[in-house]
Amino acid sequence: MIADDARVSDETLIGRIAAGDPSAFDRLVRRHQAAVYRFARAAAPVDGDAVEILRETFLAARRAASRHRDETSARPWLLSLARQTIDRRHPGSRETDLTSLRELARAAGWQSGEDGAVDESGPAVEAAFAALPPEDREILTLCDREYLTVDEAARVTGLPDAAVRTRLHRARLRLLARLKEGAGAG
Amino acid sequence: MQDEQIVAGLHCGEVLADLSEHLDGRLSLDRAERIDEHLAGCAECRRLLDEVTAAVRVVRQLPEEPLPPEVEELLIESLHD
Ligand SMILES: [Zn+2]
Repeated sequence: MIADDARVSDETLIGRIAAGDPSAFDRLVRRHQAAVYRFARAAAPVDGDAVEILRETFLAARRAASRHRDETSARPWLLSLARQTIDRRHPGSRETDLTSLRELARAAGWQSGEDGAVDESGPAVEAAFAALPPEDREILTLCDREYLTVDEAARVTGLPDAAVRTRLHRARLRLLARLKEGAGAG
Repeated sequence: MQDEQIVAGLHCGEVLADLSEHLDGRLSLDRAERIDEHLAGCAECRRLLDEVTAAVRVVRQLPEEPLPPEVEELLIESLHD
């Protein structure tokens, strides 16, 4: 196991990878593997695909290291490579959400005049999150778990900023509806 | 079923559309103030904002599962092929 030195920036590591340094590559993998894995598990349309997505993402990163241009963290870049890997493995799997915002909000109890409890217990949240469509899990992972900016999330998903914002809003409403559904059923 | 209403010159539907942006502090100051005014006078929109806020908080608190050790070993090995 190579101890990671946070003082060595991602940028420096990627430069070394481009120059063919295998230990720099190992360090980049260890630094970001858990986040890429989390993203792959959230965004892949089928279960059980995350390990292969993880592997292909880092292979792509090694090949693309010399073309990487970024002053900050490699995280959004790696996640965009993971996104491309998912698209390659599951072409045409991304859905366009046509549900109106009002329908989504009403499903979450808006304008119903009723107070539905939100089940905030860990297992309930995990179950509600897992039951969401992959597009929702993807955007929530990027924006609310990885704390990417809208710009960065747009870069990862290849969507315009405005689409990222509406997608995030919709995903949050759907998550809320699931959490209240769970609280009602339990 | 309650009806959507106009409070502080904003229809509930407009507030609904801006709710996430408001929560994330991405609205202009003017817009944010108008939304706040609507929220102060509209219990339904206020409740939705509170609940969305709670949903965002809980998803942020989901545990960061570490990479399973067997996956980590497999990965490093396969990348060295
Ligand atoms: Zn309202």
